[in-house]
Amino acid sequence: MPPREFPSKRLVSAAARYGFALLTVALALGVALLAGAETHNLVFPVFLTAISISVWYTGTGPGLLAMLLSALTYNYFFTDPLYSFYIDRSDRIDFIVFVLFAALIGWFSSRRRRIEEALRRARDRLEAEVAERTQQASLLDLTHDTIFVRDMNDVITYWNRGAEELFGWTATEAIGQSAPELLQTVFPMPMAAIREALLAAGRWEGELEKTRADGSRVVVASRWSLRRDEQNRPAAILETNNDITERKRTERQIRRLNEDLGKRSAELEAINKELEAFAYSISHDLRAPLRHMAGYAELLQRRASSLLDEKCRHYLAMILEAAQKMGELIDDLLAFSRIGRAEAQTTRVDLAQLVKEVLSEAQSECDGRQIRWSVGALPALRGDRSMLRLALVNLVANAVKFTRTRAQAEIEIGSIADKNRAPVVFIRDNGVGFDMKYANKLFGVFQRLHRTEEFEGTGIGLATVQRIIHRHGGRVWAEGQPDRGATFYFSVPRAQEEQR
Amino acid sequence: MNELGRILIVEDDPKDVELTLTALSEYNLANEVVVAHDGEEALDYLYCRGSFAARTSDNPAVLLLDLKLPKVDGLEVLQQIKSDANLKMIPVVVLTSSREERDMVASYKLGVNAYVVKPVDFHEFVNAIKELGIFWAVINEPPPGSIKNK
Repeated sequence: MPPREFPSKRLVSAAARYGFALLTVALALGVALLAGAETHNLVFPVFLTAISISVWYTGTGPGLLAMLLSALTYNYFFTDPLYSFYIDRSDRIDFIVFVLFAALIGWFSSRRRRIEEALRRARDRLEAEVAERTQQASLLDLTHDTIFVRDMNDVITYWNRGAEELFGWTATEAIGQSAPELLQTVFPMPMAAIREALLAAGRWEGELEKTRADGSRVVVASRWSLRRDEQNRPAAILETNNDITERKRTERQIRRLNEDLGKRSAELEAINKELEAFAYSISHDLRAPLRHMAGYAELLQRRASSLLDEKCRHYLAMILEAAQKMGELIDDLLAFSRIGRAEAQTTRVDLAQLVKEVLSEAQSECDGRQIRWSVGALPALRGDRSMLRLALVNLVANAVKFTRTRAQAEIEIGSIADKNRAPVVFIRDNGVGFDMKYANKLFGVFQRLHRTEEFEGTGIGLATVQRIIHRHGGRVWAEGQPDRGATFYFSVPRAQEEQR
Repeated sequence: MNELGRILIVEDDPKDVELTLTALSEYNLANEVVVAHDGEEALDYLYCRGSFAARTSDNPAVLLLDLKLPKVDGLEVLQQIKSDANLKMIPVVVLTSSREERDMVASYKLGVNAYVVKPVDFHEFVNAIKELGIFWAVINEPPPGSIKNK
């Protein structure tokens, strides 16, 4: 607290102020009496001083009192006639001087007080502002964002802790430096264009590359706000930076991965095209010579049948049978390859309905057979109806085929429900079964576990089933024992939306 | 069978030609058959040019068209026929080894009248050819301007 504050702060109570005035006048009287009559010229200034001090320090009221007391005392002790309150005409001028002097001092004093008051208010305002700014600055220090302020010449005037953490320069090092030079900023466009945008809109944002104190590069998402002064002139730029180096790196990585993926899928597409061309070629070119073989053998059989012996007729029959068989193989293989190439049409498929259809179609193959069918509850799935139908056709045909040696065939179709997992559909028969050590071969293309004389077939049926179930994202497996039947299981995940 | 429409067979494979002709002759349908061995020859016949410049300008009653042909392939021949005002009424039957859906779709889009996959089995093949021949060359009334002989 500055010392000049002393009187106004301490002499606040009226009593104290009037007491001070009284004391001052008493002191002046004491001094004047001690000085004596021979120094009469000194008396008047002493009282003037007392009045001045009182007015200056205590205000108008006590000043008035001091003036009155001084006049009375002066009149009583120091003017002729001494020790009386009689006022001589010649002394009147002294009293006028007292009053004028007191008024003058009072005026000065009140002006001083007003100025002092104004100054104090200004200082208080400043102090409040400083406190607020300090608080704001410390709040800005709290944020993790990188914030700094620079003036219109790009000289840094404020540098928060986030900026220190990101760029590695302390506030002391950074303040006063040119921001673009200190941070070696790389701008995506000419600086003039950025300035223009900033001045027009009051803000600008973009991605900038800057350099840290340790020399490493950092990519930031930078946002600039323009601050204007009272005259609306651009005064400072507040710049917020967010480190997006990692994000940029990830983006680049994702882009690269996407490119790779694009390349891979283009390759796959090319391979697929090749495969398609291959399948087409099989379909067209392999079939023609086969047809010719069959055709000419047939013609030979017609023409020369009567000339040929039993053996020759048998050979011709074998040629025709082989051609027929190869035709079937080609057709099955083509159907198999088409499953891989065809676009899957995903819908809700009611398996119970589908099985009903498949069984009614299978009846023609079951003529003269004793088959006991039992069909349990079956779920509805999401999948490609025609593909799932083909899978069921193959599984049912298999069951029918491999129970042929049974006097009473039993084929059961059902499902095992599981709350947490996809339902498992099974087809169980009491047919010839298979040895589990060959279970892994069951689903291979052209893999057969039985000789052709026993059970005909191309060895593509189960491979087709597996391909269909795999395309649905599901799995298929089998259990069996030689001569004690086989069970084929498949399950298709419920979350079909995730599958293609 | 008082009238027999002319059949134009477009087929590059001589064995297929022989087998087809054999099948047709079994039912006495082979008398009015013309064979073109590639797409270009087929178009030459239809437009009466090249080696066919001297023929009468009547159209065949039916055209049995293979798809895989040298020079001009079957689909191109089909497109040419169906976009020509004079030829587009000729019934065209695609007779092919291809079971490929895209060939079938492409043929029907171009306006083919029938699409037949050649069966491997000779009996079925003979049956198919016979039925095609009887239907298109005998039963079907061809568009005006077709060759039909008593």
